[in-house]
Amino acid sequence: MLEARDLMVFFENALAINDLSVEVHREEIVGVLGSNSAGKTTLMNTISGLIIDIKKKEYRRGGERITVLGELKFEGEDITNAKPSERVKKGIVLSRERHPIFPDSSVGENLKIATCIRRDLKITERFEFVYSIFPQLKEISKRKAGFCSGGEQQMLSIGMALMPRPRLLLMDEPLLGLSPALQQHLVRAIRQIRGEQVTILVAEQFARPLLPFIDRGYVIENGTLVLMGTGQELMENPEVKAAYFGV
Amino acid sequence: MISSILVYGLVNSVILALIAIGFSLTFGISGVANFAYGGFYLLSGYLTWILLKYLGLPFIVAVFITIGAVGLLGFLIYWVILLRVRGIVLSEVIATFALGVGMLEFFRWKGFVTYEFTLPYFKKGMLLIADVPVDYQRLFIIAIGLALVLFLYIFTHHTRIGWSFRGIAQNERTAISLGIESDWTAALSLAFGSAMAAVAAISILPLGIISINMGYDVLLIAVAVGIVGGLESVPGILVASLILGYAQIITSMYISAEWMMVVYLAAIVLVLTIKPSGLFGKFKELEERV
Repeated sequence: MLEARDLMVFFENALAINDLSVEVHREEIVGVLGSNSAGKTTLMNTISGLIIDIKKKEYRRGGERITVLGELKFEGEDITNAKPSERVKKGIVLSRERHPIFPDSSVGENLKIATCIRRDLKITERFEFVYSIFPQLKEISKRKAGFCSGGEQQMLSIGMALMPRPRLLLMDEPLLGLSPALQQHLVRAIRQIRGEQVTILVAEQFARPLLPFIDRGYVIENGTLVLMGTGQELMENPEVKAAYFGV
Repeated sequence: MISSILVYGLVNSVILALIAIGFSLTFGISGVANFAYGGFYLLSGYLTWILLKYLGLPFIVAVFITIGAVGLLGFLIYWVILLRVRGIVLSEVIATFALGVGMLEFFRWKGFVTYEFTLPYFKKGMLLIADVPVDYQRLFIIAIGLALVLFLYIFTHHTRIGWSFRGIAQNERTAISLGIESDWTAALSLAFGSAMAAVAAISILPLGIISINMGYDVLLIAVAVGIVGGLESVPGILVASLILGYAQIITSMYISAEWMMVVYLAAIVLVLTIKPSGLFGKFKELEERV
């Protein structure tokens, strides 16, 4: 479904992603595991196209020079230079890290704003879908999003990414800063989303609750691929255990 | 005395709000401080005048053409001028300010300075409100001000363009990752802000003669109200307009009319020293939190 080949991303001369190739097949959950500054967010931004926008704005300001090399294909179509909006229309949607929502709007309005560019979708259907995965959001739909707890905001952030009906959902650190119970809850939600024919690519550094459920995983360090395998293989790998499970 | 302060203070406040709201809308959504605002305001006045005088169009047609044309101009200016300097706040201000001064001085050069330049009243006549005579035009201004705020609320809450406005205004990157186009939205916000300058001009200019210096005053009003209220907040704009509007009327009645302009400048200085983000603003607080 998604094929990223030989990706390289430079911030000025610093290499954030080094010759990384990632593949995601239909209806898989694929994990990208790595510690801080491994390049997870940059990878997610590159696939969602956000980096194109960041690059453009940095260039206009005379700020950091960002270079993106490599090739991105989605369902066989070349999307290397597609704008974020085009990618959203094709079905690639990113839920950014640290649940950045629209704090002054209510939860319901946040979800509504998220459908803004898909004129072809029935909004009520999308609301039903998101509420079926996160029933809590329905209860707090009138509350101002900025007043919601971290967990609620995280659910909202994923819910917003689900509103434009993604076929490939990119999740950047969905478990960050959540309690173990909430993490379990979110992992269940992620599996439920996959059950609805949504393919998922999830970047996470705290891999323990997630690893049993991913089909395949890539472990990256300093932007370079160090290990790949099925979820089972990664769980049994001593290096992964040492690095990410603290065993 | 008291009743005339109340009535004319209210009229003055609505005038300030009408003038400031377009400027603040653009800034709140795209972060562009459109310093060509005064230029747009006067351009709207002169354009309506030309459409009425030379083309003999019916008033309502001239009004809609002007609003549309000035809005379109704002939209184009984003793509032609602002895009090159986007993100460098000082350059944005300098570029738009130069454009605004250019427009105003162009009109001065072309001789748009005599007494014949006036826009017609919507309806002549007046009314007594609590023994204070108020002409219909001022009542229209109040109605238009209310209608504009209501329109803005409905527009931003019930249309897709309005949703994208609110998305980009609150968190640009999240909005982009959901597929909202930031440049299009910013250009549209400029178009809307400019169109609102046109609405303000067409309603307010009939009260007097169109003069070039008004362009500079309008910009000062927009900036002052914005700074006092908090640039991106509509409630802030309304409250700031009321405060400044009444302060001005009281000043002109008890001190002298020449001091009216001082009210703005004093308010800017006072607010910037005491609460830099404005009464309802949150940019500063956000910075402090980060």
